[in-house]
Amino acid sequence: MAPLGYIEVLDNKGDVVERTRIDSFPIRVGRAYSNDVVINDPYVCPEHVTIELDDQGSLIARDLNSVNGLWLGSGGKKPVPKLELRSGSQFRIGHTLLRYRSFDHPLAPTLRDRENSASLFGSPHIAAFAGVMVLSLLCLESFLGSVERVTTAGIISEPLVTFATLFLWAGLWTLAGRVILSRFYFFEHVTIASLAIVAFFAINAVAEWVEFLFPFIPALWVAGIFGAGVILAGLVFGHLRFASMMRRRSRIWAASSVSAALIGISFISDYANRSKFSNVMEFTGIVKPLDAAWVPTISVDRFIETSQKLKSDLERLAQKSKPTEP
Amino acid sequence: MKRKLFFVLAFFWLNAFLWAQLGFAQAQLTSPTTAEIFKQFSEQVVKIEVVESGSGAKASVGSGFFATERGQIVTNYHVVSKLIHSPDRYRIDIVAASGQMGQAAVLAFDVIYDLAVLRIDRSVKGFLKFETTPVAQGTRLYSLGHPQDLGLTIVEGTYNGLLQHSLYPKVHFTGSLNPGMSGGPTVTHAGKVVGINVATEGEQISFLVPAARALSLLEKTANIEKPSTANFLAEVGRQIQANQARYLDGMFSNTTPSVTLGPYSLPTKPADFFRCWADALRRKELPYVVISHDCSTDDYIFVSSEQSSGIVRFYHQLLSTEELNPARFFTLYSSQVQAGNVALFGNEEEVTPFRCLTRNLQTQGGKLKGVLCARQYVKLPGLYDAVFRGATLGARNVGLVTTLSLSGVSFENIQTLTRRYGEAIRWRR
Repeated sequence: MAPLGYIEVLDNKGDVVERTRIDSFPIRVGRAYSNDVVINDPYVCPEHVTIELDDQGSLIARDLNSVNGLWLGSGGKKPVPKLELRSGSQFRIGHTLLRYRSFDHPLAPTLRDRENSASLFGSPHIAAFAGVMVLSLLCLESFLGSVERVTTAGIISEPLVTFATLFLWAGLWTLAGRVILSRFYFFEHVTIASLAIVAFFAINAVAEWVEFLFPFIPALWVAGIFGAGVILAGLVFGHLRFASMMRRRSRIWAASSVSAALIGISFISDYANRSKFSNVMEFTGIVKPLDAAWVPTISVDRFIETSQKLKSDLERLAQKSKPTEP
Repeated sequence: MKRKLFFVLAFFWLNAFLWAQLGFAQAQLTSPTTAEIFKQFSEQVVKIEVVESGSGAKASVGSGFFATERGQIVTNYHVVSKLIHSPDRYRIDIVAASGQMGQAAVLAFDVIYDLAVLRIDRSVKGFLKFETTPVAQGTRLYSLGHPQDLGLTIVEGTYNGLLQHSLYPKVHFTGSLNPGMSGGPTVTHAGKVVGINVATEGEQISFLVPAARALSLLEKTANIEKPSTANFLAEVGRQIQANQARYLDGMFSNTTPSVTLGPYSLPTKPADFFRCWADALRRKELPYVVISHDCSTDDYIFVSSEQSSGIVRFYHQLLSTEELNPARFFTLYSSQVQAGNVALFGNEEEVTPFRCLTRNLQTQGGKLKGVLCARQYVKLPGLYDAVFRGATLGARNVGLVTTLSLSGVSFENIQTLTRRYGEAIRWRR
């Protein structure tokens, strides 16, 4: 086994800052310029460590009576006088983390460049299609949501603001990608943002129908908190794919943290509003144009029976707000 | 047109002149003057101050009068309601024309008729007697009290009989009662009490509690020396509970008349003491029409400044369109189902927040979206405010939102009335 290789200086994330090729042993490591490996660290002695082969052919790092000593790379409670190095071993002198790697150290497989793999998201046609779909959905919503006589201009003007915001949003992510990855991913970001808006419409529409047909399911509330959380997670996951070098797992982490934070905040504010006194009757009065035959119903008797639960809920609330005697 | 108006005015003026002459002549012959009445009876009328014990400041001011020689004072429940709700925070000071007379205790009260009997611990020189014989419409009456705490005042007016469509008998007094005169007596020229000042609708329309109610409450207090203040709230609750049957029994049963709105047949004016109004929103610039029908009891029971009971209100809103497609019409319809979901009164000390129940219902008439919201009174156990709202389902360009709102009733009555009301909504075939 040829122990020749590289001594690498690492930063605190473990990335290589500089490396020095070793063609023969022994070598010296220290702050002085006479060393084979020169370390720019005021906590390192001019001649700090020597690295040499012993009789058995093992590579040994030996402390040269330095002020701050030689440490294991993984920490340790005390400095060590000497240390056996294998390929990949890390050690620390002063504030500097060093690593030894032999020439035959195994390498990770080569990563495939994403730019070269054709992405469906990147197609301008798809982006355009998604954009048009969002605009039509917004217009449809604006039209169906109005109950007064409307003009075409009136219907389009409002969605245009949202639509412009979508492009601004995609533009900001593109800018981030340009800075971080030096790549231009505008269409991808437009497609992702559009998909999120379409998903939002879909979840909301489904929730409204569920709440109309089955009023005992708080579908809109669930959609408002969890639906929004899931969409946000997807949005963050998707955008990061084209705006950072983060790996899949890190992106999942980032996406779920952001959405968990959103869900948490919604829960807290929901709870705070719930425990605040108000004169508002909270109910969702959604009705839909559906043939009555399709609407599942209960009898009035059953309704009255169920209202007994309302009574016990109120009883509990009344007990809670009863003034306590001083 | 202008000419005509002038004649009408002239006629009135002339008329008024003649009447004034006549009135004056009659007064001269048969009755004492207002000044004499004031002089004769003002000693028996007192000012009632409800004072916050901590700060010693007046919380409210009303009037009252001595009704027995043992220092019993008749006034309105609403004048002293603060003390009844929080006996440890307030006290009642009595001020007569001759000066302070000390504190009074509440002996009994009638929430439904808005009466209370107080007592001070000293004997009094004079007191007012009640009129027990019927009074003819048009009889001149004199009302005494302390309007706006401005000092004892006498107001002339006329007796106009008992209200026709009132749930609780009230004397219609044509004269200007003002806040602060509540609890004061309205007397004949002989000084006999016909009624107790209680409410006004402005423009000389005022109301009195009939003397007979005060008399019967007084009789009940004959043997009470000093009641415990601890049971006051329970007593308020008991009286309201007991009164419910009076006006809720049979409401929205089969005999309740119905009104037709579009394809629906709906309950209207369940009893004489309801008043119903109809209106329509039909404007050229709106692509839909709203026709509404609104019924409400005239009367309510004052419980506290933040609470009232005994109000039954229901209203129907028929929405229809020829122009909007079903999706747009149902946007409008949904928002109408949701609208008006805020109660006007209520604070944390008095009521719980609302809780609601929403279901799709199959009634005898058809399918409804039904919402029942209720809140409980915190201090008056067993009493609730409730709103039931129904919205008809199945049609594409017409919909009916109907709302029943009840205040200060038991949960059993909420359930009974909701059931009857829901079933009273019919679809015309």
